[in-house]
Amino acid sequence: MTRARPPEWALPAWDALPEDRGAAGKPLVAPGAFGLRILAVSDVSRAIREAVRGDERLRDLWVEGEVSRVTISSAGHAYFALKDERSQLQCVWFRDERLRSAFEPQAGLRIVVHGRIDLFEPQGALQLYVESIQPAGFGDLALRFEALKARLAAEGLFDAARKRPLPSRPATIGVVTSPTGVVWRDISHVLARRWPLARVVLVACRVQGDGAPASIVTALRRLERYIEECRAAGRPEDAPAVTILARGGGSLEDLWAFNDEAVVRAVVAHSVPLVCGVGHEVDVTLADFAADVRAPTPSAAAEIVVPDRMEFAASLRRANDRLRNAMQGRLAAAARDLAVERRALDRVSPVARLAAGREQVGLLFDRATRAILARLARDAVRVDRATDTLSRLAVGRVAGAHSALAGAAAALAVLGPQATLDRGYAIVRRTADGAIVRDPADAPGGTGLRLRVARGELPATVDPDSHG
Amino acid sequence: MADAAPVVAILDPVTASSDPAIDKLGFDEALAELQRTVAELEAGGQPLERALALHERGAALLEHCNRLLTDADLRVRQLVAVAGKGLQAVDVKPDEAQETPESGAS
Repeated sequence: MTRARPPEWALPAWDALPEDRGAAGKPLVAPGAFGLRILAVSDVSRAIREAVRGDERLRDLWVEGEVSRVTISSAGHAYFALKDERSQLQCVWFRDERLRSAFEPQAGLRIVVHGRIDLFEPQGALQLYVESIQPAGFGDLALRFEALKARLAAEGLFDAARKRPLPSRPATIGVVTSPTGVVWRDISHVLARRWPLARVVLVACRVQGDGAPASIVTALRRLERYIEECRAAGRPEDAPAVTILARGGGSLEDLWAFNDEAVVRAVVAHSVPLVCGVGHEVDVTLADFAADVRAPTPSAAAEIVVPDRMEFAASLRRANDRLRNAMQGRLAAAARDLAVERRALDRVSPVARLAAGREQVGLLFDRATRAILARLARDAVRVDRATDTLSRLAVGRVAGAHSALAGAAAALAVLGPQATLDRGYAIVRRTADGAIVRDPADAPGGTGLRLRVARGELPATVDPDSHG
Repeated sequence: MADAAPVVAILDPVTASSDPAIDKLGFDEALAELQRTVAELEAGGQPLERALALHERGAALLEHCNRLLTDADLRVRQLVAVAGKGLQAVDVKPDEAQETPESGAS
């Protein structure tokens, strides 16, 4: 530490004038000192180091330049030169910082380096000690995104093969999002509109800021624990069969939590299929890639996980059509059987009984078909009423709600008693309630009747004296 | 009305038609039974009484499914970590979900 004193015979130092100062503004020797000063190399180094370290501009700087001469040591440190048209700057990037970074310097690349200048004393070299690097003209986030994406993709986390199919009609749906924003409101509204049969288990989390990744991971794990608990307790229907992870739109920075590696891994490891709906259509996060299904928006995520009850009502109507068609087919078969019986009766019966037999069979058949068709029509109306109510909920959907009824009317025409009426029979009904009159006791004197004959109806009244 | 007896038997498959248990069925159960019913009826071959009973049952199931679809209200529960009790699923109205403090994150 002691400065070597120059010998007495030394001439005054050529630079020992008070106004002559060192590069960093500090005098190398005290002003007015005399004699030739011979310094140790390390003294010079220290002086340079002090000068460099004392300069604020060099302590924390951003430098743009072109990379050349990259070498990486066995210890993992990177050495390269940053140059422009006139100068070069040696750079050192230590292993720890380097491995944290998404980016590797490559010769010829224009980059922006953040770091400090210091002297490497063993070599007397002024170097830039790199803290971080990003390509010139790009944001750091975009860079980290691409690099992490490449790394996780190489691990197979985004493989199509590991995407799980979504359940078609989940009884319970998990939703992981911030419950205070418009996103949750949109999701719950969509679910309520499309498939209100669903139950929802909401897990609140933060979706922005430093704590967001940990909060998202915690929420997903809680949901998994809840799923396990429900299954263990014998209530599997309470366990979400699918999870929505959602967040509204924002800048790349706002959405950054969904590019966090821990979040991506939690999404991959989630115990049930997961739909990710983050930001707007154009926003793509790594969580989107990792999810089983990527939805363009939070609302779209809600639409994807449940069927639309309106479309479902249409399939119920198709089921109704099939029921009715099958029943009509069965009735037609019964009618054919009956015709066979009737012909058989014609053959075996004595002539005297023939007319009575025909009449009885005809009446039985008419009554059977009438009652059956009445039931069919009633069922059709009932189902239609139910589907109508549902249809009214859907604006602009005027589905063929009456088709079932029209079908029943057609069936009535086919299977109705017309054929029997054509043979000269009449159907007698009470005007008041439409009941078929089978017994004179059913129609006391004065009862209003309607007589249905082959070509129409006749009103009639029972003679008041008829039962005298 | 001795002659009406067999007809009445055909027309009133009461045993199958007004099964109160339908009201208790969940949507998925009702739908599954409806699909089975339709398939059985379409397969044919059953006596007329059975066919009518199936049709009746099918129509009731359809109505039940439709009613569930129409009348259901979305039920929302929020998972909340309660000190000492672990996770609790609390019924909430969709608009009243709360921001819950996170225990794990700072």
